[in-house]
Order: sequence, then C-alpha cells, then structure tokens
Amino acid sequence: MSDSIKEDKTIDLKGLPCPMPVVKVNKGIKQVDVGQVLKAIASDPGALTDFPAWAKTSGNEILKTDQEGDDIIFYIKRLK
Amino acid sequence: MDPKLHQEMLKAISDKLTGVMQMYLDTCSRCGICASACHVYASVPEFENTPVYRAESIRKIYKKYFKLQGKLLPMIGEAVDIDDNTADMLKKTAYSCTGCRRCMVYCPFGIDTQQIMSIAKLLLIKAESEPEILSMLADVSISKGDSLDSVKENFLKGLKKIEADVVEKWKLEAGKVAIPTEVENADILYVALAGAHSIVPAAAIFNAAGENWTLSFFEAVNFGAFVGDPSKTKLILDRIINEAIRLKVKEVCICECGTAYRVMAQLSGDKPFKVSSITQVHARYIREGRIKLKPLPADVSVTYHDPCQIARNGGVIDEPRYIIGQIAKDYREMSPDPKTNWCCGGGGGLVALGDETIDFRMKSSKVKADQVKKSRAKILITACENCHTQLDNLNEHYKLGVEVKFLSSMVADALIK
Ligand code: SF4
Ligand code: SF4
Repeated sequence: MSDSIKEDKTIDLKGLPCPMPVVKVNKGIKQVDVGQVLKAIASDPGALTDFPAWAKTSGNEILKTDQEGDDIIFYIKRLK
Repeated sequence: MDPKLHQEMLKAISDKLTGVMQMYLDTCSRCGICASACHVYASVPEFENTPVYRAESIRKIYKKYFKLQGKLLPMIGEAVDIDDNTADMLKKTAYSCTGCRRCMVYCPFGIDTQQIMSIAKLLLIKAESEPEILSMLADVSISKGDSLDSVKENFLKGLKKIEADVVEKWKLEAGKVAIPTEVENADILYVALAGAHSIVPAAAIFNAAGENWTLSFFEAVNFGAFVGDPSKTKLILDRIINEAIRLKVKEVCICECGTAYRVMAQLSGDKPFKVSSITQVHARYIREGRIKLKPLPADVSVTYHDPCQIARNGGVIDEPRYIIGQIAKDYREMSPDPKTNWCCGGGGGLVALGDETIDFRMKSSKVKADQVKKSRAKILITACENCHTQLDNLNEHYKLGVEVKFLSSMVADALIK
C-alpha cells in the first residue's frame, strides 16, 4: 500500500528481459476490474519510459510511481 | 466474408507482388530440399513444419487470384479462396516461421520463405488477427516518438540510476559524463534496448575507447517489423533516423538486437550516416588498439550462437569470432559454416509472445539445443536480446548446463584498465 492508494493486485516484474515487463503489465491489467488498481514492481529503469507510453496507448492511468531502493513501483488504474 | 475486407486483402497481396516476390511464388519446384534446412521441421518432422508448406499457404491464394489457370481452373492449380478460415490458417504458417532464412540458403532457386510470410503477416493485420501483443508493443514504441519531451524526463531519471554501474566497469576521467545524451556532432549515436543490461556494458566500452558518443532516447527493437506492419516499422525506425539527423551524428550503432540491426542497416534506404552493429564497433576498437581485453582462463570453453539477422542476413560473421579470439582460448564452432548455424527458434516475434509460444519454441528448437550440447562449451555467447532469451529458455528446458552471455558484457568484463 502507498499513502492513500490501495492496490487490488500486485505483479512482480523484476529481472525480466525486454520486452516482458510491458507484456506482463498489459496482461496484468486485464486481471483487475475497471476502476481497480494494479501494483507493478519493476527493477529496470527502462520501465520509467516504457510504462507511461504503454499506459497512454492502452488507455490506462498511472496514478503514482514510487522508487524504493532498486525497485520502481507503479500504481496503475484500469480505465477500460 | 465481408467483401470490403476481401478486397483489402487482395490489394495487400497485389501491393507486395514485386518481380522478386512473383519469382518466389512462381518458381518453387516442390523439391523439398528446404524441409530439413528449417529448424522447425528438423526438430519436429511434420509436413506442416516445412518452408514449402508455409509458402503454399500464400501461393495457393496467389494462384487463385493472380494466375490465369487458378482463375479459370482452380481445382487443377490447387488454388484456394480467401475466406473466413484464411486468417486461422495463416496464423499457423506465419507464426511458426522465425524469419531465419536458413531455408533460402539451401533452396536451389533462393526462394525466401520469410518474404512470402510477410504477405501472410500483412493479411493477418488486415483481418485484425495478428498477435495483439506485438501490435501493442509497436504502438508503445510509436507513442514514445510522439511524446519525446515526457520520454526524455523519465529516460534521464532512469539513466541516473545506472550511471554508477557504468563507472564501476570503467572509471571515468574527471568531468566526463558516464552516459552522454543529446551530443551534437557525436561520432556515434548508440541505440540500446529499454534495459540497463543493454546500456551499461556498452557505455563502459565506449568510454574505455574514448569514443565521442551519445545515447539515443529510443529503444532499437522494431516490433513493427516483428508484426509485419510496414507503416509501423517505418514510424519506429523514423524516430531514430530523425534523432540521428537532428544530432548530425556520423554513425548509428545498433545494440545487440538482430531485427533492429537488419531493419536499420538494410531496410531503411539511404541515410546520411553509417550503420554498424555494436559487435562491428567493438571489433574495430580492438583492431585499432582503442580497447584491450584480458583473456579468460585457458580452460573456459565458449561457443557462439550467430543471431540469424546479424550473421546470415546481416553479414556480421567474422567480427564476433575475432572478438572472442581475444577473450577465449578454447572456442568451439557449432557448425562448419556459420551461415548454416541453426536459428535459436525465437525470432519473428515468437520470444516477445512469451508464454503463448514457449511450448512451440522449445519443441521446434531441439536441433539448436543439440548443437549447443554437442559443443560441450561452458559459455554460450550471443549478440541478440531475442536469441539470448530463447537460449536461456532452451538451457533450462533441455538442461544444457551452459551459461548464456551477451558478447558485449563479456567484452566489458574483460576490459583492461
Ligand atoms: S527448396 Fe526451394 S524449390 Fe525446393 S521446395 Fe523448398 S522452396 Fe521450393
Ligand atoms: S525462414 Fe527459417 S523458420 Fe522460416 S521457413 Fe525458412 S528455415 Fe523455417
């Protein structure tokens, strides 16, 4: 959990080779209902550019991006 | 079938019918030589795994609509209609071909089945039956090109996180930047993948060679090419070409990604810069004495997997062997002629399709696994992201007991200060 955002599902994408983090987040978002939040934990800095671009093209919203040590944590709301 | 879609599919075929493509479609003698040249058939010997079977899925449609005999007497020429079953049939043929073009080397007429499959992929796009993941990945790449300013901010944040890793591999002189970006008139624009492993070793080597280089804001891989969509392929490519032109760089160096290299080097027309693969650049640095490498202990045996798009289809064959010759004393070739090295079995977008294709990828690449096993090497080196992932999967599945490594990371680890 982060501040006021509560996730409905968490996926661990750490250490995955290109382009698997995007492939898996695209799959993961379909496993939560519209309006729910997916928490995705990535380790590769490439996710910082890939995920916003993916959210834009897939029509979902990144509510927040946190960094904890080497982990990059995205809270993504399914919009459609 | 919707008549409009039918028309669009016919138009798509017609647009692809260049003289060379018609030669490929008209001249096959069905001799079958290509069958055992394909890793899919060599691993799983069933007729539908042959290149000629795949090509026939398009050839029969071509005969029906573009050849007189097929139009008049379709039953004689085995001509088939485009109908509601076409997409299902083409999915099987198009996405069981990795585009390795090994069959072409053996075919007496040089028929390029991968090119014929590009028609199948285009028809699938028209029928909205292409793999959704590949189109999604292509759209993500295009979206980055459309919003460069927001990409830049996050990209630079990401680079900050890996700068220390670069310096750990190669210590910089005071005042030097570990990962330069936006350098006008740079000698090299390096185009990496969206992953630290594709940037860190390369950056350390550029810095060790004293290169005047700059890192691209875009990832090299072209998912438009994997999905077989010419307009998306061009949009993804143009992001990099425009960046190279804007920065007035002399050379664009493509990271360890076979498709990215082939698309940039061979399928992008005239450009005001030279195109190199990172392997070619590293070989050049060694020849010019700009970097020096420390060899591995003599008992460490290595072998090299030639990525099809870089070696057979890109001509980069001697350079990796020259580099490995500087690092390893015990090098073992996997096949007498590198041009006929087996495909890893993960190309053509199959690796990006992940779990969906893993069963097929493992079964259809048994010959590659056998080739690796036979080498008895401890380290399996390659120079392509796609191949690396697939070889890692094969290593686990067939218990090959090798360590799969990128050539660039071996070079970075061997740098002598
Ligand atoms: S080797 Fe060439 S001519 Fe022979 S069946 Fe294969 S594609 Fe046709
Ligand atoms: S290009 Fe490769 S995978 Fe495709 S048919 Fe030819 S040998 Fe088989």
